[in-house]
Amino acid sequence: MTDWRQERTAREARLERARRHADGKVVPAARVVDLLEAILQPGDRVCLEGDNQKQADCLARGLSACDPARVHDLHMVQSGIVLPEHLDIFEQGIARRLDYSYSGPQGARIAKMLYGGQIELGAVHTYLELFARYFIDLTPNVALIAGVSADREGNLYTGPNTEDTPTVVEATAFKNGVVVAQVNEIVDRVPRVDIPGDRIDFVVEADKPFYVEPLFTRDPAAVTETQILMAMMAIKGIYAEYGIRRLNHGIGFGTAAIELLLPTYAERLGLKGKIATHWALNPHPSLIPAIESGWVSQIHCFGSEVGMDNYIRARPDVFFTGSDGSLRSNRAFCQTAGLYACDLFIGSTLQIDLQGHSSTVTTNRVAGFGGAPNMGSDPHGRRHPSDTWMKAGREAGGTGDPALRRGRKLVVQLVETFGDKLVPAFVERLDALELARKLNLELAPVMVYADDVTHIVTEEGIANLLLCRTLDEREQAIRGVAGYTEVGRGRDHAEVERLRARGVIRRPEDLGIEPLDADRSLLAARSIKDLVHWSGGLYEPPAKFRNW
Amino acid sequence: MDRETTWKPVTLSTAPLDQSWYEASARARLAGLLDADSFAEFIGPEQRMMSPHLPLFDLPRAFDDGMIVGRGRLAGRDVLAAAQEGRFMGGAFGEIHGAKLVGLLRAALVVKPAAVLILFDTGGVRLQEANAGETAIAEIMRAITQVRAAGIPVVGLIGGRAGCYGGGGLIAGTCARLVISEGGRLSVSGPEVIETNKGAEEFDSRDRALVWRTMGGKHRRLIGAADAFADDTIGAFREAALTAIPAAPAFDLPTLEAEQARLEARLERFGDARDATEIWGRLGINDPAAVPGLTTEAFDTLLAGLPEVSHDAR
Repeated sequence: MTDWRQERTAREARLERARRHADGKVVPAARVVDLLEAILQPGDRVCLEGDNQKQADCLARGLSACDPARVHDLHMVQSGIVLPEHLDIFEQGIARRLDYSYSGPQGARIAKMLYGGQIELGAVHTYLELFARYFIDLTPNVALIAGVSADREGNLYTGPNTEDTPTVVEATAFKNGVVVAQVNEIVDRVPRVDIPGDRIDFVVEADKPFYVEPLFTRDPAAVTETQILMAMMAIKGIYAEYGIRRLNHGIGFGTAAIELLLPTYAERLGLKGKIATHWALNPHPSLIPAIESGWVSQIHCFGSEVGMDNYIRARPDVFFTGSDGSLRSNRAFCQTAGLYACDLFIGSTLQIDLQGHSSTVTTNRVAGFGGAPNMGSDPHGRRHPSDTWMKAGREAGGTGDPALRRGRKLVVQLVETFGDKLVPAFVERLDALELARKLNLELAPVMVYADDVTHIVTEEGIANLLLCRTLDEREQAIRGVAGYTEVGRGRDHAEVERLRARGVIRRPEDLGIEPLDADRSLLAARSIKDLVHWSGGLYEPPAKFRNW
Repeated sequence: MDRETTWKPVTLSTAPLDQSWYEASARARLAGLLDADSFAEFIGPEQRMMSPHLPLFDLPRAFDDGMIVGRGRLAGRDVLAAAQEGRFMGGAFGEIHGAKLVGLLRAALVVKPAAVLILFDTGGVRLQEANAGETAIAEIMRAITQVRAAGIPVVGLIGGRAGCYGGGGLIAGTCARLVISEGGRLSVSGPEVIETNKGAEEFDSRDRALVWRTMGGKHRRLIGAADAFADDTIGAFREAALTAIPAAPAFDLPTLEAEQARLEARLERFGDARDATEIWGRLGINDPAAVPGLTTEAFDTLLAGLPEVSHDAR
């Protein structure tokens, strides 16, 4: 007779072995290694929670301290490879196979280990893809997650950085997996229940609060006049033109400049209420002036941001907050919102090729994707219209019955022609291709594909790729805004002027923008201190961003 | 002190006097500080008096070598003024840069202006022309004492991105009055230099809050290293300069003895403190941790309640 409950039985056995290290559900930090060694079995699929912001770091240290003779050949399925321990476990033999999404700070080491064969790579995903696969073919046997506090029943308060936790727990707890949460403190009563206790098997009181990286804080003092010029062009030439109300911003200084120009430059253009009202966005400190000036209706967040908690708490009309008053973020929902409910994604990149493919990898770093490819893509499954979406669809044209034409999401790349250390952003061939060859990847790591990108904004102008009708036009439109890079100097001047006459390429003067007006005095805040003032003292920036 | 702080709205004004001193170029600072259109530059960029040393290092030069000197009027009175451009080589002193300021100070002895204003924005001496730079520092300090001895106030204004470091810090010490803003920093060794020599445990240069509470404007004002605290606007610096000029003490033996006594007493009282907040506590500030967050108004109120931070020395 078929046994339909093998997984359930295995789960019971794991819990049985682990219970002697716990007092009820509670496990002291000193017993983490014992606990993990009792729960884990060789070959397990394990999600060690970590993304671009919060980290289950106490559990990560515990896992890397396990005996590789007992815990080995794990298959790690997690958003972020961020902490050194995330890779140490591969060197130790504790883990063997990896499916992940983002590896920012460990990008160089992960490339080296992939190259050396120390990691058996499944795939590099976007956040949404990996979350999706949690429910199909990468369901974790064990999830090691992080929260702010828990009660003795296991009811978990994740705090403002809810992020991936609900998704990871959903996939694990409801498919016979074991969930272990590290928390900063055990309390009698949690401020709000983010994860009900019956989904949490063990709670570890961590030796120190979990780490959160202030990834989305951009110091206005570092915004350059070139970035301001590009932001002015984006506002006037794209936001105003298409009436963009629902949007997602990337993490760079260019988009921070746009946020800081809303209450000044965009206000003077009379755009308040007409653009940038509904956001899928982390709580960017640089958006505070726009929020305070009444520009923003609401924001849904992937995660939180260090120092923004009190500000968010005081602005519940704008942010999604719980009954306790603090932010409730959710990466999976916000990614979905960015994909299907936003009309524009705008972000930066390191390399763009002649067709508009872009990538943030260089030959010795595999930084992963995070969420940008989902934000920066045209969702073919979208069915609700908006003026912005329909206008972009009309511009894209195409063959067939116009009545059956769908809209287009705007995907904008905001790049200076020369990046850090004067490395050109425009290239004939992406480094991603070379990396894929070196590492034997089936799929080159492209962040945004050419068929998704609609506009490229540089300090030289805007290229509207929707209006290009041939591959050659597209190439010249890109060359036409590529400045003094090799790619830019290789342009066909006559063709570029023809494209400019058609409005495919628009220079600052075509938009009525005087480059000399691009001055830092246009920024609504010129320093982190200004942001604190705008927030009425509610924003508490981390020490490394202060100059007072 | 009440922990509740009133937060001033961030100005979106485009009027010149409302512009940030910290953000402004040296020329914009001079233009706003002095009476409108009154500034006349000596040895302007059109004369291309540039560093003779930088080409040896294949480094770009500036037509004014990062130092702008000239004469103008402040509330109708003739003054001489010098401004360092912190965005060119961190406002560092080189041969031409230094010589322009020495020349301006020596000219003061002849033209007898109502005051000489020095708009500091410097990391110290330019390493590529260190000997010339160091010599210039010494010549400038000597010239300042001569100008002050002739009864002309020399007032330093500190609030630029580069702060006032190295030899600039020494020169500032010889001025009759110093005005500083919150963003301004005044010291001799910079944060990175201290960390390199003494280790991150001694001074973590990346802890910016630590840097500012040790070298920043509020602390310098609280311990009497600066005499006036200004908001970070060109207008506020202008007002502070107008107040500082008549307040400048005579440069005579009693003043120097008072300064010596003041410095000795300060060392005696605070020499063992490990952090600026300890010093603030000893000064009688109830909530030292709140000081960095105070607005200029609240800070002025705080200062008014601390009589010993004002002095007639220097």
